[in-house]
Amino acid sequence: MPNVSRRLLPLVPVVVLAVAILSFPSLAPNPYILSSGIVVLNYAVLATAWNFVGGFTGYISLGHGALAGLGGYATGLLVTKAGMPAFVALIAAAVLVAALAVPLGMAALRVRGASFVIVSIALVLILLLVFQSWASLTGGSRGLVVPRPFPSLLRPEHHRVFFFLYGGLLALALLTWWIVDRSRFGLGLKALREDEDKASALGTPTFTYKLIVFVLSATFTALGGGLYALWFGDLDPVFQFSVLTGSYLVLMALLGGVRSLYGPLVGALVVGTALEYFKGSFGNTPLHLVATGVLLAVVVLVMPDGVLPALAAGWSRLRRTSQTSIREVTAAELRDQRTSAASAASGSARSADSAGFAGSAGSAASGAGATSPGTDAGVSERASAHERSGGGGGKPDSPGRRDQEARR
Amino acid sequence: MPSPYRRTRWAAALLLMTTSLTACSGGGEDGGGGDGPIKVGISLPLTGDFSEPGQGVQQGYEAWAKIVNDSGGLLGRQVELKILDDQSSADRVVADYEQLIGSDQVDLVVGPFSTRLVVPSARVASEYGMLFVEPAGAAAEVFTQGFKNLFYAAPAVANDHYNHLAEYILALPADQRPKTAAYAAMDDPFAQGTAYGLKAKLEAGGVKTVVDEVYPPNTTDFGSIAAKIAASKADVVVGGSQYQDGVNLIVALQQLNYQPKLAAFSTAPTNPEFAAAIGNKTEGILAPTGYSQDAPYPSNKEFVEKYTAQFGKAPEEDQANAYTTGQVVAAAVKAVGCAEQGDCQQKLIDWVHANKVETVVGTLSWDDTGKPQGAHMIQQWVGGDIKIVLPADVKEAAIVYPKPAW
Amino acid sequence: MSLVLQSVVLGLLLGGLYALLAAGLTLYFGIMRVVMIAHSAFLILAAYLAWWWHERLGLDPLLSLVVTVPLFFLAGVAMQRLLLARLRAVTLTMMSVLVTFAVALTIEGLLGYAFTGTQRRIQLGYGSAGFELFGARIAVVKLIAFGLAVVSLGALYLLMKRTSFGWALRATIQHRDAARLVGIDTERTAGYGFGLGLATAAVGGTALSLDSTIYPSLHWHWIGPLMAIIVVGGLGSVPGAAAAALLLGLAQSLLQIPLGTTWAQTVFYVALFATLAVRPQGFFGGRLAQRF
Repeated sequence: MPNVSRRLLPLVPVVVLAVAILSFPSLAPNPYILSSGIVVLNYAVLATAWNFVGGFTGYISLGHGALAGLGGYATGLLVTKAGMPAFVALIAAAVLVAALAVPLGMAALRVRGASFVIVSIALVLILLLVFQSWASLTGGSRGLVVPRPFPSLLRPEHHRVFFFLYGGLLALALLTWWIVDRSRFGLGLKALREDEDKASALGTPTFTYKLIVFVLSATFTALGGGLYALWFGDLDPVFQFSVLTGSYLVLMALLGGVRSLYGPLVGALVVGTALEYFKGSFGNTPLHLVATGVLLAVVVLVMPDGVLPALAAGWSRLRRTSQTSIREVTAAELRDQRTSAASAASGSARSADSAGFAGSAGSAASGAGATSPGTDAGVSERASAHERSGGGGGKPDSPGRRDQEARR
Repeated sequence: MPSPYRRTRWAAALLLMTTSLTACSGGGEDGGGGDGPIKVGISLPLTGDFSEPGQGVQQGYEAWAKIVNDSGGLLGRQVELKILDDQSSADRVVADYEQLIGSDQVDLVVGPFSTRLVVPSARVASEYGMLFVEPAGAAAEVFTQGFKNLFYAAPAVANDHYNHLAEYILALPADQRPKTAAYAAMDDPFAQGTAYGLKAKLEAGGVKTVVDEVYPPNTTDFGSIAAKIAASKADVVVGGSQYQDGVNLIVALQQLNYQPKLAAFSTAPTNPEFAAAIGNKTEGILAPTGYSQDAPYPSNKEFVEKYTAQFGKAPEEDQANAYTTGQVVAAAVKAVGCAEQGDCQQKLIDWVHANKVETVVGTLSWDDTGKPQGAHMIQQWVGGDIKIVLPADVKEAAIVYPKPAW
Repeated sequence: MSLVLQSVVLGLLLGGLYALLAAGLTLYFGIMRVVMIAHSAFLILAAYLAWWWHERLGLDPLLSLVVTVPLFFLAGVAMQRLLLARLRAVTLTMMSVLVTFAVALTIEGLLGYAFTGTQRRIQLGYGSAGFELFGARIAVVKLIAFGLAVVSLGALYLLMKRTSFGWALRATIQHRDAARLVGIDTERTAGYGFGLGLATAAVGGTALSLDSTIYPSLHWHWIGPLMAIIVVGGLGSVPGAAAAALLLGLAQSLLQIPLGTTWAQTVFYVALFATLAVRPQGFFGGRLAQRF
């Protein structure tokens, strides 16, 4: 492939995206389509913001709906109670949420895996309770009405302005993601995603990195939520703090692929359009929930790296010409393959060695056949746990204590 | 790192998606004037938290369309309903009205159910300059938003529902008058509005508030709230309830064997399944209602008859409110002589502001904010049946006070 | 005073139900390192089945247990085998959350499709009956629900302590590889353990249906408190979950007196955040929680 086109090709999606966003308002046949476009763009911004945490660190947050809700309410309250101009309030709200994200992130990121997800869901539920109960400030169930930033504009014009604002915000989020992705900081984050303890042992300040990227993610989420508040005008705790919002974001990001710049955006386009479609087709039934559920399960079970990356992988397998010599396999996948290969070979004695061999992964054979990942779940889980307690320092449960407990 | 192919592929997918989104929406029919049917756009919560009353409202609208069409339609044109489901969500309800007005080009829009959804949808209608008559936004907040196009098609707003009851209580001789009252209201503008309307009036009249509880709409366990009320031994218990929470609260109070002198609950007691739901221990329970099947208004007889023929049962308050909404819109359309988007809508709005309308819930008129000028009747369960007891001029039975044990 | 006593009684009765449900939730975690978001969705499903049983067949909802418990046990085994065992081990905990979340959404949607969003409540002849005990009033239905929870928890305890299956199950929870070394078929044990967890949801759902309104989206209302309970109790510890459940149930009930219903619910989340800040492994047992 010639050099010039190789350098220009990455620009193609940028141009396409810019053209699509700039031309859509003129192409949209009526204000309704334009407003649907804003909803989809809102999802795209939020999913891209989610992907700062999900994509770079591998931490799956179901609580980003809460951050968006906070951004919305903060914007609304700053406009109505503090009398700030709309867009000053939007920025101030984002700063506030970012500040709040620091202690929040410190609490949530202290724990890994299950506890992190539980905390993220709990965040949504507790904010719902607080914003509903604290009626004197938030208006409670009566809702909060955010005045229009451009009262003189007719509704279709209003939509058009906000479509471009959202387009700008999306571009900013994508650009930031791209910069982080190519930086040293991003490299550290990706190391953290593949193996937190090893990254930490190699000198990556994992906690600080996680916290920074969490705050970055919260800021963009708050900006998205705040812009939504200014556009939509009516805030109600029940709709602002919904676990469903967070799950849509996860679905979008996973569907599009969390490891890539445009993944969440594509996911948002697909899911956002699909939600409209489900509403049209199964209007009077709650089957849209079933469709969302089934889609999420399929993505997680069959294509955890995203549908589009899976399709792209199939495509490049078809045309092997431009195959590079570097494998595109994550450390996690590699470890899976090795565990199952090794366990097939070593029989029941495997568990005794499992702690050791994942650490010395370099020597293990790869590939062979990832036949039964399920049966070996315990082994590699155990193995990674050992690594973590070995590399993470300061953790109280040393292997010795574990053995003691096993005997108990 | 991703190969260039992948990126182009994505770009293509993106383009495809954008165009398909645009395409699937196209071909909006040309609505507006002419001889075609008058399209009436409605968004209703057919699924989700408000789906039960939402379906009641839907039946009311369907009955209205059928009755209008059977008698020749409006301005000689048939009425066609276009109903979308908003899944009880504010985001959706706004998108629905955008779609109805912008994409489906309906000629008229009427309101959804529940205050939470009325305010956002009224704003859409307002910004497109549409007349917006609604059957269910009874809370005070609806009328403080400065909407010029909104009208609530029922006799009274939530805070005025108990006006007749408050008058009755405060007119009792001092030795019979209740001294203390307990209030429990759902955290919902409508339900809370009813209870707090009565609370304000009773407090002003010297009845002491001993319990004031607000519970979230998803509450299912009322044991603790009931315990508080029972422990207070309040003379009066007032429930700002929708349907199921009212039932649960009453059952929980009965489990604790609490016997007040007066018990008033909004909405729930007027439901046909209410008596069975609380095991027929209904004696003496009071409820405000904006509608009675037996009310003597001219159009009501026709409505009850035809509705019963269509759906096999008599209409309830939700259905009646939707029907009333239809009646108001129809009266405006007939008087002004048009039904389409554009200048016609302002004429319709002006007409409703300036006139009174005969409906199945009586003669309605509105102030500048769209608030109706009236009060609700009070019903009471007497001898296993619910009867109107206040105001005196329309009563079917005498009010029973103090309330017998339940 | 009588209000406090009444609240203590109500809190304990509620705590019993929480304890049973949290026991199931923590069991999954112990066995599989899986956070089962769909637990409370199955709870509501069982409640709907009990309601339907009573509505259609006219039988006492308690009898529906004969069908729902075995059914849920099988569903649990199937879910473990067909869904969770297929996930990649390294990302198991995170991805299991998403898969079970998807299951919860699907159940909610299907319930809504089959029974509509209308709130349902079983109308029992003894629904509002109650009796006096030391000045507190106890509703018969709440006592039955509590009794069901206690009996099932007791049965679970005996099963885990006295049978060889329970022995295998505990060994699997404590150290899966060691369990395998001594010849336990951990895969099968994990499947049965999952079934057992889901069976607690069947019992809990029936108990819930006796004295509560049910609607499809109710499960969101339950999952938050339950997850807080298992973290406070220490992830994976059944006795810890039971103790935390009684404690928090009681706290919620008592806090309703000064704070009101809505604020009292926050006790679960406050306890959750406090636990993670002070003692992330939980207050009982809980050597697993640190790492997850």
